[in-house]
Amino acid sequence: MLEARAVSLRQPAYLERVSAALPEGALSVILGPNGAGKSTLLHLLGGAIRPLSGAIWLDQQPLPALSAAQLAQHRALVEQQPARPAGMAVATLLTIGVAGSNPGARQQAIDYTCIHDLLQRDCATLSGGELARVHLARALHQLLASPAAARYLLLDEPTAALDIGAANLQLSSLRQIARQHGIGVIAVLHDVNLAVQHADHVLLLKNGTAMACGSAEQVLQLPMLQALYESPLRELRDASGCRAFIATQA
Amino acid sequence: MTTRSWLLLLASLTGLASVISLFAGHDAASSASALLQLPGFDPLQRMLLLELRLPRIVSAAAAGALLACAGLAIQARFHNDLAEPGLIGISGGGALAAALALAAAWPAQLVSVAAFAGATLALLAIQLLAHGRSAAKLLLAGVAVNALCGSLLTLLITTLPDNGLRNVTFWLMGSFSGASAGQAMLLLTAAGLIAWQLWRQAPFLQALQLGDRAAFYSGFNVGREGWRTVLLATLACGLVVAQCGMVGFIGLMAPHILRRLIGLQLRALLVLTPLAGALLAVLADLIASQALYPAELPVGVITSMAGAPFFLYLLARQRGAHA
Repeated sequence: MLEARAVSLRQPAYLERVSAALPEGALSVILGPNGAGKSTLLHLLGGAIRPLSGAIWLDQQPLPALSAAQLAQHRALVEQQPARPAGMAVATLLTIGVAGSNPGARQQAIDYTCIHDLLQRDCATLSGGELARVHLARALHQLLASPAAARYLLLDEPTAALDIGAANLQLSSLRQIARQHGIGVIAVLHDVNLAVQHADHVLLLKNGTAMACGSAEQVLQLPMLQALYESPLRELRDASGCRAFIATQA
Repeated sequence: MTTRSWLLLLASLTGLASVISLFAGHDAASSASALLQLPGFDPLQRMLLLELRLPRIVSAAAAGALLACAGLAIQARFHNDLAEPGLIGISGGGALAAALALAAAWPAQLVSVAAFAGATLALLAIQLLAHGRSAAKLLLAGVAVNALCGSLLTLLITTLPDNGLRNVTFWLMGSFSGASAGQAMLLLTAAGLIAWQLWRQAPFLQALQLGDRAAFYSGFNVGREGWRTVLLATLACGLVVAQCGMVGFIGLMAPHILRRLIGLQLRALLVLTPLAGALLAVLADLIASQALYPAELPVGVITSMAGAPFFLYLLARQRGAHA
């Protein structure tokens, strides 16, 4: 379990006593309007930012008790705008954060993200979507090669550079990874409907406070989402029970 | 070309330049016979070659390697391709401290220690002023530190008696002449150790190419490892300033010329940069000693005359790339 226990922060974003428990082996999604503090919360969970008060707990240990190297065995993070290091081959990028070699983990990471054709390319020549996949593969490699039991993959808007089909595919494979390897995947998303389709667990963040945190069916309800985005929404449902939310005119 | 063939090419070019430098000003036959102790050799010439020329060339090569390593390390740590120990004020701080020690008539060993301390202090000041801020701020902080050190040096020169003045000029413009065998060995050992330590930091420096935060997420204590990188650069630069004075721009030119030639792969750069620095320094020293023979130029004049236009060229190219 990766837990935020009453974390507060003023800079770079305002967060007020946010508590949330994010399980392993499931896809958790953080939703909220622009400026709610989603990315900041993700970096708090990753340990790059220290809270003003409260603490992040990983597997019954507070984060500051772990060294940078230990932390890297438990969690990996893909930033919203990942770096594009000129002159670095994709194959080299994949090795960053992985001590030693673990061909099995490497191959799995490559297979999940379908980057076989990109391995010899220079990172500077990749398209936005390719770059996102390559960084996801790097983070996956870091976790799959780790001997730790509790592992979390933190993703800051992983679908931002992807079209609707690619985004859908990516989230379903992320969910599959979470189940197969017992990894907790935690993704900040903007698209409510991707969360409706794929999330096991949802945290709603508004103005720096946790509005709701729980199973996707519980949390992703029309009144809650309308309050979250302060926007009139409609819920659509087809015969198979598939749901979607669209914004309507005010 | 593979890294290995570049390594061989650079090593042989450095060797060739060293041999030319060793024999410069003398005819090769008499130099060779002196070196090989062939019948009829000139013992004085042998002494000149082995006790003056050779330590000087080895010092130049080792100092060049150290400066190039320092340049590459600083560039990697601060994500700034235009950073260079001289430009960001490390060398200036070292030279100022050395001049102060000279003015206080300290013994030679202490002058070296002072130069090293000065370089470290300048670096600390710059790190505090510019860390975590933009690349431009780092260079600007360096400009300010350089200007301060330069003006204090000038102040010192104008108040020093004449014999002190000559020594201060040595620190300001740099020179490899008069290097002893001991100095050459010290610099060579340091160059080997620092290049090796930097190579051992390759995984960190590679992760750093993704940014400070991404390097942390991939398991590196960026604060601590970053300090180690910067300390290695300061050590390299401080040693060179202490032994040879300020020799500018090699730390900028060596990695950049390599980037143009071999591309941007960090590991290849880590291997080849020391050799490229050595080659540049030996060539600069050769020009400094032979261009106006028998008069001798300070080597810093040569490296700055080549390096400053090179810096401007890089600056112009960078702006072009961003526009």
